[in-house]
Parts: sequence; C-alpha cells; structure tokens
Amino acid sequence: MKNKIAVQVDDLTVAYNYKPVLWDIDLEIPEGVLMAIVGPNGAGKSTLIKSILGILKPIAGSVAIYGKPYDKQRSLVAYVPQKGSVDWDFPTTALDVVMMGTYGSLGWIKRPGQKEKKAALEALEKVGMLSFKNRQISQLSGGQQQRIFLARALVQNASIYFMDEPFQGVDATTEIAIINILKELRKAGKTVIVVHHDLQTVPEYFDWVTFLNVKKIATGPVKDIFNDDNLTKTYGINYKVVVSD
Amino acid sequence: MSSAQLEIQLIASLVAIACAIPGTFLVLRKMAMISDAISHSILPGIVIGFFITQDLNSPVLILLAALTGIITVVLVEYIQKTGLVKEDTAIGLVFPALFSIGVILIAKNANDIHLDVDAVLLGELAFAPFDRLLVSGVDLGPKSLWIIGTILLITITLLIAFFKELKVSTFDAGLASALGFSPMVIHYGLMTVSSVTTVGAFDAVGAILVVALMIAPAASAYLITNNLKRMLAYAICFGVISAVSGYWLAHWLDASIAGSITSVLGILFLTIYLFAPNKGIIAILYREKQQRTEVSLLTFLLHLKNHTDETERHVNHLNEHINWQKVRSKTVLDLALKNNMIRIENKIVSLTEKGNDFTTQAIDYIITNEDSQIEGMKDDFFLFRG
Ligand SMILES: Nc1ncnc2c1ncn2[C@@H]1O[C@H](COP(=O)(O)OP(=O)(O)OP(=O)(O)O)[C@@H](O)[C@H]1O
Ligand SMILES: [Mg+2]
Repeated sequence: MKNKIAVQVDDLTVAYNYKPVLWDIDLEIPEGVLMAIVGPNGAGKSTLIKSILGILKPIAGSVAIYGKPYDKQRSLVAYVPQKGSVDWDFPTTALDVVMMGTYGSLGWIKRPGQKEKKAALEALEKVGMLSFKNRQISQLSGGQQQRIFLARALVQNASIYFMDEPFQGVDATTEIAIINILKELRKAGKTVIVVHHDLQTVPEYFDWVTFLNVKKIATGPVKDIFNDDNLTKTYGINYKVVVSD
Repeated sequence: MSSAQLEIQLIASLVAIACAIPGTFLVLRKMAMISDAISHSILPGIVIGFFITQDLNSPVLILLAALTGIITVVLVEYIQKTGLVKEDTAIGLVFPALFSIGVILIAKNANDIHLDVDAVLLGELAFAPFDRLLVSGVDLGPKSLWIIGTILLITITLLIAFFKELKVSTFDAGLASALGFSPMVIHYGLMTVSSVTTVGAFDAVGAILVVALMIAPAASAYLITNNLKRMLAYAICFGVISAVSGYWLAHWLDASIAGSITSVLGILFLTIYLFAPNKGIIAILYREKQQRTEVSLLTFLLHLKNHTDETERHVNHLNEHINWQKVRSKTVLDLALKNNMIRIENKIVSLTEKGNDFTTQAIDYIITNEDSQIEGMKDDFFLFRG
C-alpha cells in the first residue's frame, strides 16, 4: 500500500517576534489517515496547523497540499480552530456560523444562498445540532459549540480536515459522536489531522500519529511508534501509557 | 423649522449613520480605543493638508489626514508586536505624540491658518450650513452635507459588498485567512473607512463627537440583540435618534450641539445598560435572584421527594426544618404552587406528578450535566440557562 502524500511540510521554521516556536519541521502525511498531533502545551501544535494553512507566515520552509502550495488548494482543506480562539459572544446564530464554512467556495463578494443554507442544515443534522440552528452561539454549551465548529468544517466538503482540539471540553457522548464522524470521513477517503491531548485514547481513535515539541519527534503509524520512548522524548518526563491489545 | 436647522439635523444624522457602520465592527473587534486614537492623531494630517490645499473641505486634505489615521494604526500595531507593551499602552504612546505634533504645527503657524485645536476636536455644527457648495453660481447645499453624504455612500457600498467578509474575519480571523479572505486587507479596509469618516466629519461635528457616534450606538445595540444585521440597524437608529434629539436639546438649552448629542448618547447607553432585557444590569440582578429562588425550590422539592411521612411535610415543620426565613419559604411555596408542582391538603405538602418528574429531571441534569434533557425547562427556569 503506497498512498499519495496529502500534506508535505519541508524544513518549516516558524517564529513569533523572532523567537522560533517550530524548528525545522519535516512532515509527510499520507492520504486517508486519521492522524493525531500530540505534544505538551506550547509545543507549537496550533502553530503548525496555522502555518500549513497559511494563517501564519513561516520564516523558512515550505508546505504543499497534494504537491501544490496551499493558496492553490484552499478548496481541498477544512479547518476547525481551537475553540477558545473566537469570541462566542459574537452576535450570530449556530446556523450562521456553519454557513461560514461555505464562504470559501463562494469567494469574495458573492453571498450565500439557498444551496449553501441547505448544505449547512445538513451538516447541522449530521452533528445532531439541527434543533439548535437558531440559537445564539453564546447560549450553547462547550460541547455544542464544538459540534458547531465540526459542522462548519463538514460543510466545506474538503479532502483534508485540520482540527485543533475538537475534544476540548466535551463530554463522553459528544466525544464518541465526534470521533465517529471523523472515522466516517476517513472511510470516505479523507485525510483527518487532529490535535489531541488525551494520550490514553490515541491508539483507539487514530491510526497515525505525530509527536511534536518545538521539533518533530516522530511521525508514523500508531502501532509502530506510539510508545513510551517517543512519549518520554516529547513530554520530557518518564511517560507510561497503557496501550491495550 | 428653518432650512438651516433642517440641514444641521440632516448632516448630524448622516454623520451618525456613517459612524455607526464602522463603529459596529470596531466594537465587535474590541477596538473602540483605536477610534479615539485615530480621531486625535489626524490633527497633524489635517494641518499639513491645510498647508497644501488651503481648503478644509478638499478631498486631498481628507485623504492626507486619513493617511495619518492609518499611520497611527500601523504604529500601534508595530509597537504592540515588539511584545514590550499591551495594545492600550501602545495606543496611549502613539496618539498623544501625533496629536502634539499637530498642536505644535498649528501654534507655529497661527498667523497663516484660521484653524484651532478646539475647532478640530469639537467642531461647530451650527456653522455647517453657512459653508455652501456653489457650482457656477448655483447653491447645491452645505459642503459638509456633500462630503459626509459621499463618504456614507461609499461606506454603505463597501458594507453591502463585503458584509460576509467583515463578519467572518471579525468572528474568526483564522478561518477567514484559511478561506482566502485576508484578515489584513479587511482590517486595513475598516481602518481606512474609520479614518476617512473621522476626517470627513470632524469639520462639521468635531473629532470627539465622531468617537462618541462610532462607539456609543454600537455598544448600546450590542446589549440588546444577538444578530449582527440587527445590531447594525439598531446602532444606526440610536445614532440618528441621538443626533436629532441632541440637536433639539442644544436648541432649548442654548448649548453646544456636539456636546448635547454626546450627552444624549451617554444617557442612551446608560439607560440600555441598565434596562436591556438580557445583558442589562437589572436583568442580570433579577436573573441571579430568580436562580437563587429556584435552587431553593429544588431543595424543597427534593426534601418532599425524600420524605414520605407526614410530619416531615407539614407546612410549619418545613419552616424550621429547611431552616429558611418565613418570606423565603413563602416565595418558594408560591412558586411551587404556581407551577403545579405541589399540592397542599390540611397543611400537608405533597409533590404532584409534575413536581415529581421535574425533580427527577433536574437532579439528573445536575448530576450528568447533559444539556439535552432540559431543553424544555430552560424557558421556564433561569436555573438551567447556564
Ligand atoms: N500570537 C502569539 N504571539 C507570541 N507567541 C505566541 C503566539 N501564539 C503562540 N505563541 C507561543 O508559541 C508557542 C506555541 O504555541 P501554540 O499555540 O502553537 O502551542 P500549542 O501546542 O497549540 O499549545 P496548546 O496545547 O496550549 O494549545 C507557545 O510558546 C506560545 O506561547
Ligand atoms: Mg493549541
């Protein structure tokens, strides 16, 4: 099985105020994997995703999505930012937030119409949030807000999904609902990249993993590289996880 | 009403609308302070522009001064990026510096220009109708009306064209960028519109009123709606209402028009801040009081559910047992009765079926914290509204 490379990162170095937070990252993500990015707080996980998506400008290195620069491949990529990165008191509804996922395909100036609304409603249905469509977003619970973000990514109908801590602050039911949707995406041949904090669930949820802490520590299939050695290198302390099976 | 009076109100209203539109986005982006900075730091731009054009209403002057506004924003961001100081400090460093350059330029050339700092900061709306636009002898109305009308037209066109881009980049700059809508472009677009509006309006209404008209109506609107389009509409209404009523207030009090409009804006904001249905102070206090009562209600219902023998459920016994004051017990009993949750027979209180279900559900919710169970209860009880 020789998969195509969905995302290729070469010699990527990213800095805030001239202080590098990602050093010389090389990374190849094969098409069709469900990959976890793990690493301690401040390791640069969000920064890595933002740099791949062109939100941050790296000081060195390059990124390719299916062999071309991100600018040319926007329509292939969907993004779920970390939940805390937006203002949930913003005056808008759940449906409207999901509709934002369609803006990319519309381009500048053109407005969303019935077709976009229908797509947004379907995505809301898929994440079990249809009955909340007109709810103001500040009146949603943390888990519901996370589902709204997921719906917004689904509506982008992309090939590659980047999700920054989609399980943050969600209960067990929502976590299972979300992971099932992610697994469904993988089954449909999509590539899904998830920043994940709960190390216990990595082997159960994901088939691919990247260890990151300022530098890339390791990347590959969970069954080959998810071990105490890499965890210790990444987290600095002697880490023991129970890997079942 | 004379035509001059009408013209003044018209100018003030157009300024109010032109300010409310960028103001709404500034408030949502938590950038209210930046409009204050722009309004002061355009002074050197105005003075230099005036040296060049000799005409306070020239479009060249407006663009030059607006450029000073943009420079302010760039400088603030640059200083902030060094990571040495926070944004408000950076703003506090930049605009007094630029403003004082303007003041010095005016003082040094006081003989050559009829421009003073007061005029820039406070404006004089009462004089606006006297400076008229004459095209080959035909009177087309006050110049300020044309200037602010043109700016408003451009602002509305941009708003309609880029509404979705403004919305997404204000709510989630990361997503906007990933989707290809450069937040930088939108940010500087908004800053340009704010600067041009400030400069275009200063001659008529003064820089201070411009700031008040940008921030107060939008901040008031934010308190009463959860919908961006409505927020824009309310902000525009509040601005126009304040402009017109401020004008008449000044008329009756024989006071400064700009000052009166600013006062009305202040009163309007204060009123809404107190009385807004959800986010107002009074609503919040009321909600907290209700939540306290409802917690008591739940405690009370739970007590009834857990105790079957009649002595425990006797009205008098309840007072001592749950250890509440008379008033509180009565409030809780009344609330329970009103909602058909209890029945009182011979001073013995018992749960109705509805009360029983409610208690089970509420306890369930408190234990599992699962929101879906209590959707129906949210409308009736504050307790479940987070
Ligand atoms: N806007 C910024 N300006 C300056 N430094 C920043 C900025 N954003 C992040 N950093 C720094 O860059 C480093 C990496 O941050 P990043 O958000 O990528 O970490 P992360 O791995 O996503 O952490 P977390 O698990 O907490 O989300 C941290 O040291 C952080 O303090
Ligand atoms: Mg992060």
